[in-house]
Amino acid sequence: MLEVHDLQVAYGAAPALWGVSLAMREHELLCVVGPNGAGKTTLINTLAGIQRARSGRIVFEGRDITALAPHRFIEAGIAIVPEGRRLFTGMTVLENLELGSYLPAAKSQRRESLASVLALFPALEAKLASPAGELSGGQQQMVAIARALMARPRLLLLDEPSLGLSPLIVHDMFAAIRRINAEGVAVLLVEQNVVMAMEVASRAYVLEEGRVVADGSPAELLARPEIQRAYLGV
Amino acid sequence: MSGFSLPSATLLAQSILSGLFVGALYGLMGLGLSLSWGLLRLINLAHFAFAFLAAYLCYQLAGQGMDPLLTLVVLVPAFFALGALLQALVARFAITPFNSLLLTFGLTGIVEAVIQTIWTADFRKLESTYAHLKFKVGVLFVPVPELITFVLAVALSFAVWAVLRYTDLGKALRAAAEDATIAAAFGVNQKRNALLLAGTCSALAAVAGVCLALSFTLAPSQIYAWVGVVFAAVMLGGLGRALGPLIAGSLIGVSEAVTMAVTAPSWAPIVSFTLLIVILVFRPGRVVP
Amino acid sequence: MSAVRGVLGRRTPWLILGAALLLAFVPKLGLPAFYDSLLYLILHWVVLATSWNILSGYTGYFSFGHGAFFGAGLYTTSTLLGRYEWPFLATLPVAALVAALLGVGLGAVVFRVKGVRGELFALLTLAVTFVIGTIVVNTPLDGGQGVSLSAVPVPAIGATQSSTFYLLALMAATVTVLIAWGITVSKFGAGLYAIHDDEDAAEVMGVPTYRYKLIALAISCALAGIAGGIHALFLSYVTVGEVFTIAVPLTVVLMSVLGGSRHWAGPAVGAVAITLLLYSFTAADHAIAGKALTGVILIAAILFMPDGILPRLQKLMRRRTPPAAVGAAHPPSHLAATGASPPSPTSATTAGHGEVLLRVQGLHKSFKGVRALAGVDVEVRRGEILGLLGPNGSGKSTFINVVSGHHMASGGTVTFEGRALTNHAAHRIAGAGISRTYQIPRPFAHLTVLDNVALATMFGGGVASPDEAREQARAWLHFTGLHEKAHALPDALNLHQRKFLELARALASRPRLVLLDEVLCGLTPSEIDDAVALIRRIRDQGSTIVFVEHVMRAVMALTDRIVVFNHGELLAEGAAAEVMQRPEVMTAYLGKPHPPALQQPQERAHA
Repeated sequence: MLEVHDLQVAYGAAPALWGVSLAMREHELLCVVGPNGAGKTTLINTLAGIQRARSGRIVFEGRDITALAPHRFIEAGIAIVPEGRRLFTGMTVLENLELGSYLPAAKSQRRESLASVLALFPALEAKLASPAGELSGGQQQMVAIARALMARPRLLLLDEPSLGLSPLIVHDMFAAIRRINAEGVAVLLVEQNVVMAMEVASRAYVLEEGRVVADGSPAELLARPEIQRAYLGV
Repeated sequence: MSGFSLPSATLLAQSILSGLFVGALYGLMGLGLSLSWGLLRLINLAHFAFAFLAAYLCYQLAGQGMDPLLTLVVLVPAFFALGALLQALVARFAITPFNSLLLTFGLTGIVEAVIQTIWTADFRKLESTYAHLKFKVGVLFVPVPELITFVLAVALSFAVWAVLRYTDLGKALRAAAEDATIAAAFGVNQKRNALLLAGTCSALAAVAGVCLALSFTLAPSQIYAWVGVVFAAVMLGGLGRALGPLIAGSLIGVSEAVTMAVTAPSWAPIVSFTLLIVILVFRPGRVVP
Repeated sequence: MSAVRGVLGRRTPWLILGAALLLAFVPKLGLPAFYDSLLYLILHWVVLATSWNILSGYTGYFSFGHGAFFGAGLYTTSTLLGRYEWPFLATLPVAALVAALLGVGLGAVVFRVKGVRGELFALLTLAVTFVIGTIVVNTPLDGGQGVSLSAVPVPAIGATQSSTFYLLALMAATVTVLIAWGITVSKFGAGLYAIHDDEDAAEVMGVPTYRYKLIALAISCALAGIAGGIHALFLSYVTVGEVFTIAVPLTVVLMSVLGGSRHWAGPAVGAVAITLLLYSFTAADHAIAGKALTGVILIAAILFMPDGILPRLQKLMRRRTPPAAVGAAHPPSHLAATGASPPSPTSATTAGHGEVLLRVQGLHKSFKGVRALAGVDVEVRRGEILGLLGPNGSGKSTFINVVSGHHMASGGTVTFEGRALTNHAAHRIAGAGISRTYQIPRPFAHLTVLDNVALATMFGGGVASPDEAREQARAWLHFTGLHEKAHALPDALNLHQRKFLELARALASRPRLVLLDEVLCGLTPSEIDDAVALIRRIRDQGSTIVFVEHVMRAVMALTDRIVVFNHGELLAEGAAAEVMQRPEVMTAYLGKPHPPALQQPQERAHA
């Protein structure tokens, strides 16, 4: 479904990704882990169209989307839940969700989408009229995921959804992510919380200093010393 | 010289009414400026020059027999195009909000020069059938041109408010103003929307210009007389809020009118600027979040 | 600063005086009075534009209130002349004083408000202009009809009246330009330029930003006041409408932006160009076209030459004289070779290793209800390298920001060398011996690498002379291996070099405590090795270091002790290798309690 070939991304003079390649099948739940500064956010932002690649190709569902304008990536079927949520804090929760389904194709199904995200996150129903900036971290994360789902994507990109959240909420959130994947949406998850991520993913890549250093099933990777060394230094 | 004298109730009421009317014009003039600054990060000083240009064009067309209000049919689309063009040019160079202030000051100078070349520095007054019409409501006089201005200001402010609040385009504009990158990630084509918005702001300037022409005498030097008080209305009302300039403008207009009735007309400007200074010193976050 | 001094260097003040002396003889040429008036106007605008630039061009606080200060001087003189019959020349110092007091009064209030910068400051100062104008027009100061000074005698400084005004303006212009130049080569000027590029970083590095802004404003207003005083008599009939408007500030902005607002001579160049332009158009009866042309010029300047004419010319001239051979960007891996030993940190006491240098107790910090730090207690001992670790969002950067004064604490105390530093202004904390680096480097973009470091030497390190500061800065550049880039601008450096520049800046103030915020983030493995070696050398020459880091092998290699934060609280403390294997720490980093498979590598590491 998704093929990334030799992606090179740099911010001005500072390179962030040095030729990253990965592949993803339909309905997969793929996880990308790695320490801080490894380039995980850069990778996700490039896949979402937010960041331009210097070279390399992104092929999604057979289409080369590398050179598309930023606002066209969502048309292709890719939606992002960015790091730090980045909700439109001045707008209400409902307005944020409506913006998720801004595209005409998604707009026509807005009502059904809204019903299904509320079924997934019932706690949001009471908060629809509240300004998004007033919600707690966990609630904001739910809104961010729901907003992306309103676009009816075929690939959902999640950038460090557990950041700054307490363990209990993280647990619920990963359960929701599993359900989303079970309903047919492919998920690419970037996470610092390695253990949780490995529990939900079917496959994982390990990124370190802008390069892929390992990939395989979670069980294989957890048994290898790379991850422990990379994160803990021991 | 300037003593305090309490006017009669009727005079006070009439003052408040005319303050409300002039405040509505402040609001109408400020609407386009507020939207531009709040949603496009463009501080468009040339907004005033555009308004005056529209006023002069209205004067010209009316002088050739067109009904002043009908000139809107010609002026609104023309200025919409002008505004969109300006935005297209500005977007090519990434300009900071402050530099946009300087840039549009330069543009104002150019437009002022054009106006002065065509119509000279002499004072011009639009003569129309409305100019001297008045209603009498109780003991108060309601001049028709001012009433038209008031109605237009209220109607347009609410229309813009409704669009921003309820339509997808309005939400897209608000979202992009807050976080353009993420808005784009959800399909918002900010480039195109910015052109629409900029065109609308200029069109609003044109409407304000026609209202200006109906009620006031025109001279190129007058452009700058409005800058201060309209900026005050815009900033007091909060940037990017459709009803802000109207409410703040009315507040300023009424305060000015009462001040004038109680003291002397020359004290009026102090009201809006003092309010502005106070709000900037104590609550700058309210103005520019 | 070095870029600004340009070709003339130390001889500049003499050249300015010489030019002034020459110009003083112009009236002797016996030109028609018209020329005297034109030259007067040019010099008048030179004073206004240059004085405006002292605050607004140098610090970046673009004021639209210059008309108010000019007008204050104007009306002070007209009142003293018309009403109290003072001698004219005596009114000028009073005009300067009144204008300066007005400015300082305004600045004292406005500069305290953090949110008022940029366009808000501009519009606020404009509002002030209109308020003062309204007051003046309604009180006996003006009264609405203006003040006539035609009966006032003009002092006989020159042969004719118009030449007198010319000479007065010449003197004022000379003084103004000399002051403007003097500021650029002084420590005060360096501070102003730093405020322009990054006020918060400047404050943290020791620049007393509030005080400096006020001083610049006072000087700017005083000079504008003098110009106003002179102009009052020149016009001989003053009205509010000509002075308290938007026209004066916008004209000086145009002149300074056109000429170059970072340069002491920029506004003067712009003033000459614009005044001549406008005058020539007016003389040819095309005043309107002149106005339009200035609009076009301003637009062109903003779009294509936002730095102004002078810097463009300077760049051209620099290209003619080829620069000294600059080495290619090679990593500073020859640190061991450079034996340059920089001055060691000033030591307040002779206490040995182990005594507590920094004591933080119960530190709280909340941002709009979100608790970033929830009461942490940390002790830093002299001479140690303390690692500050924790997952993202645990409060490490906030801790550094609060200790260095970048943010105010919401609760708790910070004691350094026995002195309480909680909630002190950041520049005082820097002066007390604490410095920091930023995770994303924040160099002063318009200053060279050398000047960036010299700034820290002057303000955090208390060195008074810019030249001496530069000498010391050079030593620091050698220490960090950046000496070959001394005259480059920061954006010509790569990330590694910029991080080292941050380090050099942090060290240049000779701090006893250095706070490093993720200095290794984004570096390649070999660059990390260089940085680790450098950090060791920093400690070896006497500084105590606290560093926030994620790169584990650096943490293992460098730290004596670490503390681990989690959710704004202290989670663990002790030797690195031992702490990182504690279960609660592993959980915090990796997630849920790890499955047994992860415990095996412990044995492997020891094997």
